[in-house]
Amino acid sequence: MSHHAAPADRPLGVGILGAGPVTQAIHLPALARLQDILEVRHIMDVDPAVASSVAARVGARSSTSMDALLGDQDVDIVAICSPHQFHADQVIAACRAGKKAVLCEKPFAMNGEEAARISAVSTETGVPIVVGAMHTFDPGWLAAERNWGDLPEYVHTIRSSIVLPPNARFEDFATEIVTRPAAGRPDYSDVEVIKSALRGGIMGLAIHDLPLVRRFTPDFQQIEVLQARHVRPFGYAVSLRTPTRVIELRAVMNGTWKPEWTFEAIADDSALRIDFTPSYVQAGSAVATFFRHGSETSTFGPYGHNGYEGEWRELAELARGTRPAPSAQSLIDDLTFALAIADATVASAAAGHASAAEKAGVSA
Amino acid sequence: MSGHYTVLATPAAQAAGAVAQTLASLPATFGPTAEGQPGPPDVLVVAGGPGWTAEALSAVAAGVRGVLVANPVPEDATELAGAADAAGTAVVLDLRWASNPALVGESTDVADARDAVRSAVGTASLLDSVATAAPATDPQRLLGEHLAALLAVTGPLDGVVVLRSDATGYTVGGRLANGAPFTAQGVLTAARPAGVDIRLYTADGGVAVQVPDPDAARPAEVRITGAHGELLLPTLYESAHRFAWRRLKDHLGASTQPDDLAGFARLTDLYATLAAT
Repeated sequence: MSHHAAPADRPLGVGILGAGPVTQAIHLPALARLQDILEVRHIMDVDPAVASSVAARVGARSSTSMDALLGDQDVDIVAICSPHQFHADQVIAACRAGKKAVLCEKPFAMNGEEAARISAVSTETGVPIVVGAMHTFDPGWLAAERNWGDLPEYVHTIRSSIVLPPNARFEDFATEIVTRPAAGRPDYSDVEVIKSALRGGIMGLAIHDLPLVRRFTPDFQQIEVLQARHVRPFGYAVSLRTPTRVIELRAVMNGTWKPEWTFEAIADDSALRIDFTPSYVQAGSAVATFFRHGSETSTFGPYGHNGYEGEWRELAELARGTRPAPSAQSLIDDLTFALAIADATVASAAAGHASAAEKAGVSA
Repeated sequence: MSGHYTVLATPAAQAAGAVAQTLASLPATFGPTAEGQPGPPDVLVVAGGPGWTAEALSAVAAGVRGVLVANPVPEDATELAGAADAAGTAVVLDLRWASNPALVGESTDVADARDAVRSAVGTASLLDSVATAAPATDPQRLLGEHLAALLAVTGPLDGVVVLRSDATGYTVGGRLANGAPFTAQGVLTAARPAGVDIRLYTADGGVAVQVPDPDAARPAEVRITGAHGELLLPTLYESAHRFAWRRLKDHLGASTQPDDLAGFARLTDLYATLAAT
């Protein structure tokens, strides 16, 4: 394994596994703002045309195999932007390849067993892993964290509300996408479609904010689902509670042009609201606002960069050894929290569907 | 000061309806009952706590021309409605949020939140609403005020169930007429001003309604988002209290009957359903 510090005057090399829209519209534009510290050197995608096309945009090598990228000595940091089911094995392989740091798009595993394997390998190899929960790296969130004092102890209500247009709207503001995946026409009368959509909603969308929710939920391991409703065409209305917290998750992805992405943590006398910028575009950071006693407010942000750029800045520091590695346990706790919510949400929706069908006397 | 209509309010009703400060903004129409004045006042103000329908019924029997009920709790008003109708008494309800002029306005020529929501609800994908009130507020009472505001703008709500209700608030779920989910949450906190927020999301945008408490004449905001952009309906710097009194003035002047009690019956029916679950 090579853990040599990169020369301070040479940017660290980045290799990316998976060259889909997230890589094209999020990571490459973010990295283009950090050329003094990071340089894209290798792009891998199973589609050779996509790999070569995307790599050519940034003057990087391309390949169609993970091994080729992991064997590239010019790659110091590996970003895993492949489909979810490949994440765990690719994180482990990147750690074993002796890279300096690994970024894994969320979720970094699909079950607890995978998460435990990743944790063990990270501990064994000493390779720091960052999960792409970009809001935890957003300067607006970090400013809130520095200023919230004892608020997490007293919060009783947490809300995450996400209203977004289809991804393509912001992807097209960010770049020129090659080979966008075709959108399907789901059959909402099929409960399996609803279950899949809800799981996808939690593990693909809510998961951005679940690490934030967990920071305000000390008893996160005792989660109970009060309701789980699918929102068409894509979204959810999920109500949760623990013994000490109420958690409300809302998401609507419709044809609107107006994005609204908010996180709220509310106590008896004070509250925090964070308004995040939409993904894909370089629209600066979130704005965090504290409310106290009904009439006092204090605001932090906006700052110049978003959470994606924030996570790349942190990766560079981790790779150079100038920042301590994040807690693997924290990443596992975030994942198990998300998985527990996804499992319970799907189970609740399935039970509700069966009940509704029984009442209606039809297979709705 | 003397107005066209004399008004009598008990201390409880004064407090519940902020009567003195509200009538100070309608000085040519309403004024206090003179001490020793014989007979009933023109208008009696009733505090809307439990038992308000009986108190209003007595007022109708005593021959008042108008009754204004300050922030009524859900209660069967069938008998009151019948008596008021027979006597020609105008009964106007001053509801915490539902009486805000931005929700249901006075003119069919001017768009209001009800128009905006009802024209969009057919393509709704989600209605999400949050009511905020001070800690120690009775969550059941808050829920009544919240549902009154929702019913004012949305029309029927189906399958409504209380998912939780505790010292920090409540969560309610249900369906809109087109089957889309609706959620209503009550949050008890002093961190932010009290009010109700209603968000209807549709295929290409939606409607956002923010209604403040009636303790000041801060305007509600109604925003309609669509392919055209975002439209802010004209802001009305008039509290729910004052708008209720202005409606009463109009009915007294025209000798007409408001439909407040009929509308309130929908809330009472829904509330009774919830109480039974």
